[in-house]
Amino acid sequence: MTDLRRALGDIHAIRKQVADRTEFRGYGPVAMACTALFAVISATVQPYVVSDPAHTPVRYLAIWFAAATLSLLLSSVTMYTRSRRMHSGLSDEMIRMAAQQFVPSVGAGLLMTVVLVFAIPHVVWMLPGFWQVIFSLGVFASCRSLPKTMFAPACLYLGTGVAAMAIGDTRALSPWVMGVPFALGQMMIAAVLRFDGAAEEDVDA
Amino acid sequence: MPEQEGRFAYEGLDRLIHERARLSVLTSLLTHPKGLTFVELKAMCSLTDGNLSRHLSILEQDGMVLIEKGHEKNRPQTLCRITAYGKKRYLEYLETLEQVVRDAAKIAEGSKANSRGRMRPAEA
Repeated sequence: MTDLRRALGDIHAIRKQVADRTEFRGYGPVAMACTALFAVISATVQPYVVSDPAHTPVRYLAIWFAAATLSLLLSSVTMYTRSRRMHSGLSDEMIRMAAQQFVPSVGAGLLMTVVLVFAIPHVVWMLPGFWQVIFSLGVFASCRSLPKTMFAPACLYLGTGVAAMAIGDTRALSPWVMGVPFALGQMMIAAVLRFDGAAEEDVDA
Repeated sequence: MPEQEGRFAYEGLDRLIHERARLSVLTSLLTHPKGLTFVELKAMCSLTDGNLSRHLSILEQDGMVLIEKGHEKNRPQTLCRITAYGKKRYLEYLETLEQVVRDAAKIAEGSKANSRGRMRPAEA
């Protein structure tokens, strides 16, 4: 029995080792471009729905939370289907690995948002910059199994995030402080995946 | 309920891979995607020159490995790499092998439980 368990462990270890050294092809360029579009739509809609985001942070949050949820849903569905198609035997391992790299930053972002909005609402203007910095950390963490050029969008998010924080007041809640970086960043990610990712025929399985 | 037809056929157990030496070669190459030299591979798999050459040529003929002959510091060097096709077939093989082990583990668990059940009345 122990031998059989050990054999299963060995098989799992081999699969994990291969997954570690395989470029993840689950993120789709089209889906990433769509998330850029969601950012533009949200930034366009924001002034009509939230006239004073500093005093109605929950409404501001709702708009961007909706965009983030839609993006996450679309990315997850694409990730699942592409991964099944491109990594077949490694699919579950690859998805698990991608989630392990990116989910911690999403979790940290969510928790910090709750704390900022409900415990220290006078610094809610920090949210856009904070989200971009957190997102950049997620992209940096994912770089290990993505093309090396993915560092460029990660650096962009870090730079725009820090710049948004440097604004230092409620002007940071202006719609395009979120709209422009996320539209640009996501388009950049889409371009990297489209032009710099491994060719489909080179992908393992 | 009758067992699903072909449930234990294990057709994914590729004969070409299901040979100890070739399994070692492919596993070594799979975990070193940049490739391994003939000497490194020979040491990792504990094979003789002749044995390794024979297995490599079988795998190469089937398109599972790529063998590049070149020079490193003016000395001839043979670099072996697994192909995308080889990787795909190996992973399919691994999936079936995992199923075999899972089935065996299930049977072993079942027979252990049965023997425990038979022991109880005697113990009482």
